Formats: sequence, structure tokens, C-alpha cells
Amino acid sequence: MSSATTGVTGPIDDVRSAAVTGWRARRGDAVSLLVLAAALAAFPLVASTTLLNAGVYALIYSIAAIGLSLLMGLAGQVSLGHAGFFAIGAYTQAILVTRYGTHLLLALLAAVALTLVSAFLVGLFLLRLRGHYLALATLGFGIMVFVVARESEYTGATSGIFGIPKPLINGRTYDSPAEFFWLAAPVVLIGLLLARNLVTSRLGRALSAVNDSEVAAEALGVNTFRMRLQVFVVSAGYAAVAGALFAHWLTVVSPDSANFPLSVTFLLMAVLGGLGTVWGAVIGAFAVQGLGEILRNLIPRIVPDVTGEVQLLGFGIVLAALVVFLPGGLYELWRRALRALRPRRQTSMAALSAASAAKDGGEPPVDIPTLRAAAIEEALAVDRRVSGRGPLLLARGISARFGGVVAVDDVDLTVSPGEILALIGPNGAGKTTLFNIISGVISPLSGTVTVRGRRVDGRPPHVFASAHAARTFQTPQMFASMTVLGNVMVGAHLRGHAGLLAGGLAVPAIREERALERHARRLIDLVGMTKDTDTPVQDLPFGRQRLVEITRALAAGPDLLLLDEPMAGLAGPERRALSDLLRQLRAAGLAVVLVEHDVEAVLALADRVAVLEEGSLIALDVPGRVRQDPAVIAAYLGTDDDDDEVAAALQSDAADSPQRMPGE
Amino acid sequence: MTDLLQLLFAGISQGALYGLLAIGFVAVFTVSGVINLAQGEFAALAGLVAISASASGLPLVVAVALSLLVVLAVSLTMERLTVRQVPGLTTLQSIILTLGVSTALKAVMLIGWGPDAAGLAPITAGTIEVAGVSIRSQELWILGIAVALTLLIQWFYQSTAVGQSLRACADQPIAARLVGISRSRATLLSFAIAGLVGAVVGVLASPISLSAWDSGLTLGLKAFVAATLGGLVSVRGALLGGVVLGVLESLTAGYLDSGFRDAVAFLLLILVLGIRARGGFTVAGGARV
Repeated sequence: MSSATTGVTGPIDDVRSAAVTGWRARRGDAVSLLVLAAALAAFPLVASTTLLNAGVYALIYSIAAIGLSLLMGLAGQVSLGHAGFFAIGAYTQAILVTRYGTHLLLALLAAVALTLVSAFLVGLFLLRLRGHYLALATLGFGIMVFVVARESEYTGATSGIFGIPKPLINGRTYDSPAEFFWLAAPVVLIGLLLARNLVTSRLGRALSAVNDSEVAAEALGVNTFRMRLQVFVVSAGYAAVAGALFAHWLTVVSPDSANFPLSVTFLLMAVLGGLGTVWGAVIGAFAVQGLGEILRNLIPRIVPDVTGEVQLLGFGIVLAALVVFLPGGLYELWRRALRALRPRRQTSMAALSAASAAKDGGEPPVDIPTLRAAAIEEALAVDRRVSGRGPLLLARGISARFGGVVAVDDVDLTVSPGEILALIGPNGAGKTTLFNIISGVISPLSGTVTVRGRRVDGRPPHVFASAHAARTFQTPQMFASMTVLGNVMVGAHLRGHAGLLAGGLAVPAIREERALERHARRLIDLVGMTKDTDTPVQDLPFGRQRLVEITRALAAGPDLLLLDEPMAGLAGPERRALSDLLRQLRAAGLAVVLVEHDVEAVLALADRVAVLEEGSLIALDVPGRVRQDPAVIAAYLGTDDDDDEVAAALQSDAADSPQRMPGE
Repeated sequence: MTDLLQLLFAGISQGALYGLLAIGFVAVFTVSGVINLAQGEFAALAGLVAISASASGLPLVVAVALSLLVVLAVSLTMERLTVRQVPGLTTLQSIILTLGVSTALKAVMLIGWGPDAAGLAPITAGTIEVAGVSIRSQELWILGIAVALTLLIQWFYQSTAVGQSLRACADQPIAARLVGISRSRATLLSFAIAGLVGAVVGVLASPISLSAWDSGLTLGLKAFVAATLGGLVSVRGALLGGVVLGVLESLTAGYLDSGFRDAVAFLLLILVLGIRARGGFTVAGGARV
């Protein structure tokens, strides 16, 4: 049942790995864009009239499909009512031009603006929903637009709005299919370019991370809801542009432009092309229009007297077949073909994966270089305005309950800058739950959490992150589709500011992107992982993944670091190296709170130790005294390894306890 | 007062149809986590098949039986050819997959039956007058059959070994596999239930709200809302959710504007889920299945 509560994520790998590819990919895309531009310019010269007519529709629809591809591939959200936005754009354009004599371009601006506002309002409500609910709610939205268009006199009810002129710009009328095609093609190319930029921008990287692990991305400061809403709005904007063009081409707008089959058609275009790439949407649009054309001719020959949108038969079958046979769409086919054409590269890839497999077997120890605190300070690049010796983290009266079970019971905790506080206790004592509450992953039943005086309890994890705090997870939450560099760059998310606009235009964000990358590389060097910088994190052994997660958490330059069992899965030397790193972080002024099972390591490392048992804090003192505390010995220190293992199994159950995801 | 009673009754009988169809969503979702977007098409198809069979001279009972068989065959084929083929469907994939089937089914109906809506003959014609409220006898049939079928399905889940094994699959998929309950058989069975309730709703609704190639769309959406109101995991909750939706629609159409009728379901969905999201609590209410 978990699939109902997680976000809609699908066969979407490549948008994400595109996030950190640098200039070579940019150059490749520029070439692709030129090739596509040339193909579009030539199309009207070589195509037959029928084909050209279908091509004009394909071009118009492809704009909407690009938007939908962004929404599905990047934001991981689905819309079954995108025709609704298409129709809002089309109707606005039609009404302004025919009734008020508005200039076409001015009308276009208004049509897009109105659609953006509608999408913002709709998204504000709908994007709180997840998965199936979101899909069905967007479907409902589409139906609403259709019903309003059909019932309202203002929109011309069932007959719609007609008499929209063919575009007239600078005294030139674009009334033939070829001219209209040439008019629309640049719009598509610009739309593609903006979408592609967005995918590789800071926003695109953050959303890719969300698709891999929403909770981890949030904990690094990614405001998931806000970013999804932004992409939703942008995506609706694309639909609006398509709608406005459609109005001028068909010269009639009827309620059909909002109908469900059109939403399905947009979806098919995006999915057929491949959700991993915005280019796919254009290819998909032409393929779908072509298929529709063939079916509209073919089906009436087989079954006489059919009317209506019979091509839906093929659309439906292709849609279902794609999921079964080719989840990556045509783009996946293209990539397979490329791979087949480059056998040499493939073998080198195979050698690489064999090498990494061998690596897995022998798990080389993580080698964390010894560094001076000053080097860390510099690498973290934090402007640490020391606010006295006041507490950094203040938790008061925290309680949590799952069902009838009290997980955390009235816990108080204070953490100051420059100290390491260890949180220990038998399994199921509520350590991870406490972490989850502090970082905003779940809401406490009662109590307050403040970081540097700012309330963070009951708020989404990105609020916790923006208070200069970071955390890791008991089970490493890697952004599995990215490289080490990509992971750490997401960690540096809060260092950047480039938003939707800068990301879409790319140029304004270049400097910031480079700075973020430099920073991430420096941190990766710092922890001794230089060689793995461009390795996909999935290929790393477990211990290194832990280290990546810690590096990622450091990337934003936090004052407070919460580590959940950082030693688990590490060998002896690695544990010592990690302890050294933590000491250096402490010396650099960071506060570290760690949950750990290796009690000896913890007692040697921590300044203070908090002991939890059955949700209650039974001791909080310096290691020497905690070691002597009879209650602690009874509760915890006496257990042997076998008990630990049984308890560890229980612990993993506790980790599955319901987590409140932001925006859900 | 009479108006209110009239509206209430109309709402309840219409809502019972939503609720019954909603059970189809619940049956499939609890076993495989899939929201079957073709659920509404099952109903539309049943109505059209029954209309054609009945028009070709077959007695109503035979026509209805035939339509049940056809839809059952369609739902089982759908499971075998699509859902079965992709293990570990993601939410997005399941949406695209069932949307594809739903679209293809729509097109088949459009090609086979044309774009016009038609109605099946009611089980018994005529209306009854109770306390000034005129009730179509078809509406009584709807209520009776909906309640009976819901009780039957609930009994199946709670009291038969097969039904309990279905529930086990829904609650504890791994445990169910360990004790030898085949997930694949459970999925098939859940689609059988989905097909059955879809077909029954289709033939019951046809005399009143007509059947057409695209009538499954809004019907399916409303049934989904009904299932959601009931928590998406409860058979009884689905029926009650349907009745609540039906009554609200009927009152809206009666006292506000009939144009708003179709908006009710959508607004209710957003309202309910929105409140639930804000509270941050998990799927609420009711006995599971």
C-alpha cells in the first residue's frame, strides 16, 4: 500500500543523471537542437499536404507534451487533465482576439498569464495530493474545465468560439500549413531549450534528488512542494502556449479542446518519446500524430461508418504496451541503438562494472585523510557568526506515539556549538524517532524543537535544513541515479539561489553552478573520495555510501549535524577515521549529535552521552559518569552481541514507522 | 419536505451505484496497489453489451448474464495481459497502464456502438408513490442489488477461506506468500470482483443514466471518490462513500444548480484529501476490506 503514499516516480533515470554533466552535454544538446531546427525547417518542403497538416498539429501539441514531460519526468508528478490548461490558453486567446480585438501577441501573454495563475491556484490544492490521488484529481480538474466550457455562455457553450483569424504578424499572414509550421517551429525550439536548461539547473537537480529520496532531499533543504508547484505551473504554461497556437490554427475553439482524450494524447506523446528526456516529447508528438493519421484512415476501411476519435484505440494500446515492453519510450530505443553502435565503449563499461564488482568483494577501507580543523573550516566555507555559547538545538518535552505505543516520552535535549552528543539506548528506545522529530520528518505529539531559536518541529524537513542543520539516515538515503558529485551538489542546494527563471535561461545561473560544483569537489577531496567523484553512488560499497551521505550533509555548511548510526557497516580503521573527522568537525565549531550502537567508540568520542530507554531519557551526562550509572548498565551496557542482533532486527521495523512527508 | 425526500432518495440510489463500482477500486487496490482507471469502462461496456443483446431479441436476463460474462472476460484478460506482465509496477506505471486499457476500451466501444448513448430496459418499469415521493422501481432494484452484493462481497472477504487469503495478501503480502497464498491468483481474483461489480453497475445504471462509449469516465472518477471517502480499503466504506457522494450531488443539483452536479465529486475529493494531508494522518477509518 505504500505506493499510494509515495510520490509518482517511474522509469525516469536520465533526467536526473543529466543533472551534472557539464559542458560536453551542453554542446551535444546544442548540436541536437541545430539538427532538430534543420529538420523542422525542411519538413514543410518535403512533406505532402496531409503529412504537413498532421505535422502542424504535432508541432502545436508537442509544446504541451514538453510541459507534461517536464512535470512527469522531472517533478515526478502526473497530470491527467492537461487539456484543461491547454483549453484555458486556447479560450483566452480566442476570446481576447475575437471579442476585444487584442493584438495576437498581447493576447498570447494574457493567455499564458491567466493559465499560470490558474495552475498556481489549482496546484496549491492538488499538489498536496500524491500518486493516484493527484492523477485522479487532475483528471477531475480537466473534466471541470470541460464542463465549464460547455455550459458557459461566455465561452460559447457547445459551439465554442469561432472566427479566430490566422496569425497576422507585422503585416504578414501565416495562413498556409507551411507558413504556420515555420511560425510554430521556433516556439517549439525555444520551449525545448528552456525545458532542457531547467532539467540541468539547480532546480532540476533538486527535483531529481526528490525522485530518488524525497526525505533526504528535503532534509538537505529542498522545498519539495514549492518546486513541484513551480514545475506544475511552468508545465501548464507550455500547455497554454500550445492552446493559443491551436486557436489560431484551427480558427475555432470548442469544449473538445478540454476533453479527456486530448489529455491522454498529451500523456501518450510524453510517454512514447520517453520521460527521461524533453526531446522525446517532440519526437513523441510527431509519432503520435502520425499514428493517429494512419488509424483515422485505416479503421474506417475495416469498420465502415465509424465516427469520432477512433484513433484512441491505437493510442490506448500503445500506452499500455509501452509500460509492458518499453517503459523508457523511444528514447530508450535510441539509447540502445547508440550502445549497439559503440561496442568499444560498452566493453570499457563492462570492464568498469567488473572492476567495481571486484571492489565490492574486497571492500577497500574508506581512507579519510587527517586534516587540520582550519582546512575543514575553509572547505565548509561557513561564515560562522558565533552567537555566544547559547544552545544550538533545544528540544523541550518531546513525545511521540505510534498507535498505542509510546515511542518518545517527554524528552528534553540541549546541544551547544562545538560539542558531540551521543544518543544511545537499546533498540526501539526511540533514538531514530527523536531524530525524525528534530529534523521534521515526523511531527511530535507534543513538545517543541528549536534550532538557533527557530521553531522547526511539525514543519517540513527543509525548514530544519534552512536553520543550518543537516542529518543522515540509518539506512543511507542515496540519490541513486546520481554520481557522488551530484549527491554532494544537492547537499549544497541551500548555498545556491538560482530559481526557476535563472535555471530556465541557464546563463544567469552559470556562475553559481560553477561555484557549487567547485565547493562540492573540494569537500569530496577533503574526505578523500576524489577518485570516486564521478562514480555513480550505486556502484559504491556501503561504507563509502555512508561517507558520501556525511559529505553531502556537510555541503551546506551546517552548524548542527545529526548522524544516525554513522559507524554501522564500517570496519575498524574506517570507524577510527570517521571518529577523527567528527573530532575535527567539532574543533571547527560544529555540533554533532549521533545515534550509535558501537558504545565503546561513542564513549571515547562524545562530550556528553544521552541514554534513552523505552522513549525516556534515563541519563544525560559526561561519558565517565554515564558509564557508572546503574540504570544505564541495567538497561543497556550489559547486553551482549546476540541480543544486539535480535534488537537490530526490531530496530529496522521501527524505522518503517509512518513518516510524515511534507505536503502529503 | 417532499422535495428533500425525493432528492435524498434519488441521491441514495445513484450513490449506491457509485459505491458498488467503488468496491471494484477497493478490491484491486488492496491486493496490488493499482488504481484501475478502466473500472468505469467495465460499467459502460456492460451496459452497451446488454443493450445490443437485448435488442437482438434475447430476454433481459440472458442479455444481462451475457454482459456480465463479457466484462468478466475483459477484466480477467486485462489482468493477464497487462498488470500481470509488469512485476513491481510503480504508481506512475500503473496509472499509464490502466489508462491505456481504459482508452483502448473506450475506442472499442466507440467503434462498435458509435458515439450515441442508449438505455437498457429497466428490470421492472413504472414508479411507486410513497409519501408523495415518486420512486422508479428501477431505483429500488438498484438499492436492493447494491446492498445485497455489498453484503455478499463482504461475507466473501470475511467468511470464506479464499476471501480471507485475499485479505491476507492485501495486509501482509510477504506473510501471505510464506503461507502459500499466490499473489498472482489473488490479483486475478480481485480483477474478477472488479469486473463483476463494474458489469452489475453498468446494467443497473443504463436504464436511468444511459450507456455510451465515454460514460465510464465520470462514473469511474466518482466511484474513485466514493472509494476514497471510504478509505480506499473498505468494502462497506466504499458503499457508504458512494451514498454520501450521491446524496450531496443530488442535493446540489436540486438546490443549487444541476450544472454543478459533476463538480461535487471533484471538490469532495480535494476537500477530503486536503484535510487528511494537513492533519498528516494515515488512511483513516473502517475495517480493512
